[in-house]
Amino acid sequence: MREKIWSQVKVGDEYSFELEDVKRTHFVRYAGAGGDFNPIHHDQTFAEKAGLPTVFGMGMFTAGVLARVPSEWFGPTSVRRYAIKFTSRLWPEDTILLQGRVTRLYDEDGVSHADLGLKATNQKQEDLIRAEATVRDWRP
Amino acid sequence: MAQIQPPGFPIERGKIHEFANSLLDDDPLYHDLNAARAAGLPSVVAPPTFASAAAFFPDPNARGPSIKGLDMRFLLHGGQELIFERPLFAGDELHSEPGETKSWEKEGRRGGTMKFIENETIWRDRAGKIVLRVRNTLIQTAGIVKD
Repeated sequence: MREKIWSQVKVGDEYSFELEDVKRTHFVRYAGAGGDFNPIHHDQTFAEKAGLPTVFGMGMFTAGVLARVPSEWFGPTSVRRYAIKFTSRLWPEDTILLQGRVTRLYDEDGVSHADLGLKATNQKQEDLIRAEATVRDWRP
Repeated sequence: MAQIQPPGFPIERGKIHEFANSLLDDDPLYHDLNAARAAGLPSVVAPPTFASAAAFFPDPNARGPSIKGLDMRFLLHGGQELIFERPLFAGDELHSEPGETKSWEKEGRRGGTMKFIENETIWRDRAGKIVLRVRNTLIQTAGIVKD
């Protein structure tokens, strides 16, 4: 667990990592694991008929990878709220930068909480997702 | 597609392992039962967006908005909000019920008139306690949206 983060964290602290060179196989593996079999995410013929150059990633794939920011930083049991807005599509061969920043620290019912601003951007600095999370010092 | 019986969403260790791997997440609390127990947890934890795998377990008593009448080619997922009362663990079994559904229209900049549909799903554990609320926003555009 990551309890010691709570005695160190400050407003403005940041956490980030990169996912390089996303492949269609990532989308297919996520389809199997997450259950989203919309063909727009795995079927080239279907994507072309819809007027797209190729398949694009599920928003929930990028959202799942972005959720690693709060879960790696504060621990997987810490997430109280996660709210995402999809803005641009993720294409094969994109590299994603996942970033988070602490915007507020507070106590609620005697439990430490932090609000985070999060975003996933591609190699062209376009936003794929903007998100907010609330994490808390949850104990079993 | 066949439905699991009795209806419900079993949170399973193998499925959590597979789901976390699909997000390239190697946190031991998702994959290692002993690490989870050593941390005082009942079992491995489900990643925050794991409930989206509930699409595998549609509950006939608790459907979201019908996809009928929506054109899958022009249906976008606008966003999602997850509110957890507690983390989900392998061994949990959840049941869903519909929350509020709202819909509204807006003139889009790139795709003509857009229809927004927001629906809430409420997930309860075996004890009947609410553990998670999921709010999804779907956007139906008039045509394909160019990036």
